[in-house]
Amino acid sequence: MTPTVQGDKIVVENFQHIFDSADGPIEATGRVDLTIPAGQFVTLVGPSGCGKTTLLKAIAGFIDPTHGRILCDGAPVTGPGRDRGVVFQELAILPWRTVRRNIAHGLEIARAPRQEIDATVKRLIELTGLVGFEDRYPHELSGGMKQRVAVARTWAADPDVILMDEPFAAVDAMTRLTLQEELASLSYQTKKTVFFITHSVDEAVFLADRVLVMSRRPGTIKASIEVPRRTPGGRDWESFTTDTDMQAIVEKVLRLVREEKTAHKKDSAPVALEAAG
Amino acid sequence: MTAIAHKPARKPVRGRDIVWMILPAIPFVLLLAGWTIYWAIVRPNMGTLPPVWTVAQTLWQITASGELLGHIIASLGRLVAGVSVGIVTGVLLGFLVGLNKRAAEFVYPLVIFFSAISGIVWLPLVIGWLGLGPALFIFLIWNTVFFLVFQNTVLGVQLVSEVLELGVRTLGGSRLHTILNVTAFGAMPYIMSGIRSGLGFGWRALIAAELVGASSGLGQMIFHAAEFHRADIILAGCVVIGLLSLLMDRLILVPLERRTIERWGLVTPGAKGA
Ligand SMILES: Nc1ncnc2c1ncn2[C@@H]1O[C@H](COP(=O)(O)OP(=O)(O)OP(=O)(O)O)[C@@H](O)[C@H]1O
Ligand SMILES: [Mg+2]
Repeated sequence: MTPTVQGDKIVVENFQHIFDSADGPIEATGRVDLTIPAGQFVTLVGPSGCGKTTLLKAIAGFIDPTHGRILCDGAPVTGPGRDRGVVFQELAILPWRTVRRNIAHGLEIARAPRQEIDATVKRLIELTGLVGFEDRYPHELSGGMKQRVAVARTWAADPDVILMDEPFAAVDAMTRLTLQEELASLSYQTKKTVFFITHSVDEAVFLADRVLVMSRRPGTIKASIEVPRRTPGGRDWESFTTDTDMQAIVEKVLRLVREEKTAHKKDSAPVALEAAG
Repeated sequence: MTAIAHKPARKPVRGRDIVWMILPAIPFVLLLAGWTIYWAIVRPNMGTLPPVWTVAQTLWQITASGELLGHIIASLGRLVAGVSVGIVTGVLLGFLVGLNKRAAEFVYPLVIFFSAISGIVWLPLVIGWLGLGPALFIFLIWNTVFFLVFQNTVLGVQLVSEVLELGVRTLGGSRLHTILNVTAFGAMPYIMSGIRSGLGFGWRALIAAELVGASSGLGQMIFHAAEFHRADIILAGCVVIGLLSLLMDRLILVPLERRTIERWGLVTPGAKGA
């Protein structure tokens, strides 16, 4: 967990992805240019179906972009790799591994020493509030608990870049607050580069160094809002909600997101509306 | 079904087990009762349908004389050999085809072509090629088991959620690691289902092969009995085959499933056929 290198971690250049479907091509995103400096926490908000997941999947190396290219540490992304961990929108932990062995999976693959695996797993199980469930299988857990296992699994593998697709959507409100605070402090301390998709504007501003707002499909990045770090160690919800500067940013982002939704309504595009936050 | 509680309580599970063992016997009891009533009213020829007790007596005699055991051992040996070869080849080729579009294009037409041709068709040819030895039985059982296991494995491999595989790739897992740790596990419900049908149809193929090409085995026992119009021995043979097949399912497949695919929540306990 050494602090990562300086410079641009992720560069998205003139990216666009078009899916081929039976009814013809679907423009999943518009043109996207994006640079994420090493150690920055970037959150992305935007209407449902605007292409957020598609962008994340391209950075992860799961899809080959139709246009443009994606660089990680200056090298083109050609496929998934352990330098870019992913927490998926849908559940991706393995049903045949216990909680403990799911979290340990990345370290097992890296052939880490036994003691290191045990220590890391123990720490993450405590952090994500899964104590007592170490030897359960995922089908014996609640939806929120499974999602916490997914977050812990990605974190345990210690990638430089973490890509998260609405990871806390299925977590209960109270646990979510704790996880958000822990995620903020963990990622700031370990200087990880994080790309985090959410529908919650509060969550986006709370976690971010920079919030990106995407327009409706085919989505482009229509705004990028810097969020200053008040406390270097992390953030907590109490001071966040009373911080007028922060609340001003929340309002600004909310307005940008709302514009997309109303524009969207007028167009009456056949894409489902989803409430933000 | 409630998921396994904190610590699986021993006592209640045992109690349920006993009920679970007894209830499925009811259809068999009804069958025997129907047979007895029919026999008492119609009094069919002993050479076509003997009464239950005659079959039971015959079963006891061939068991006591040790004759049955010899046949069972001969048949089981062939079955295990043929089914094993069928499972191994079916799973391996199933993975190849399920994982690789190119391989699928080459192998699928061939498989469809040959899966339509039954063992009986091959028999006269294969006796010429392989003789009347163990290779004949292994081939004929394989000819049934392979196709069932293969088709199920292909489907199972294709149905494993891609997101599970991608997730492991982002943890640094190689393609081989992902196949062994994700695809193989995810495809297990289908592979198990293929093995279950493979075992049943493997018995059918075995008995058919033994009717013709063996000097021992349950099929040969039945064939021999038919020449002397001993319907009691034929029926006793059927009972033995059915029971052995049931025992293999209950003693091998069911416990294996409990410890794997049911334990992992991939299938709901009790939702599958017996
Ligand atoms: N595999 C695919 N094939 C065809 N079209 C797809 C595919 N995946 C996504 N799309 C389309 O691309 C568009 C963008 O999808 P994407 O999943 O990136 O949206 P999103 O912004 O993540 O939405 P949400 O907030 O609901 O998760 C959608 O219109 C979707 O229908
Ligand atoms: Mg999405």
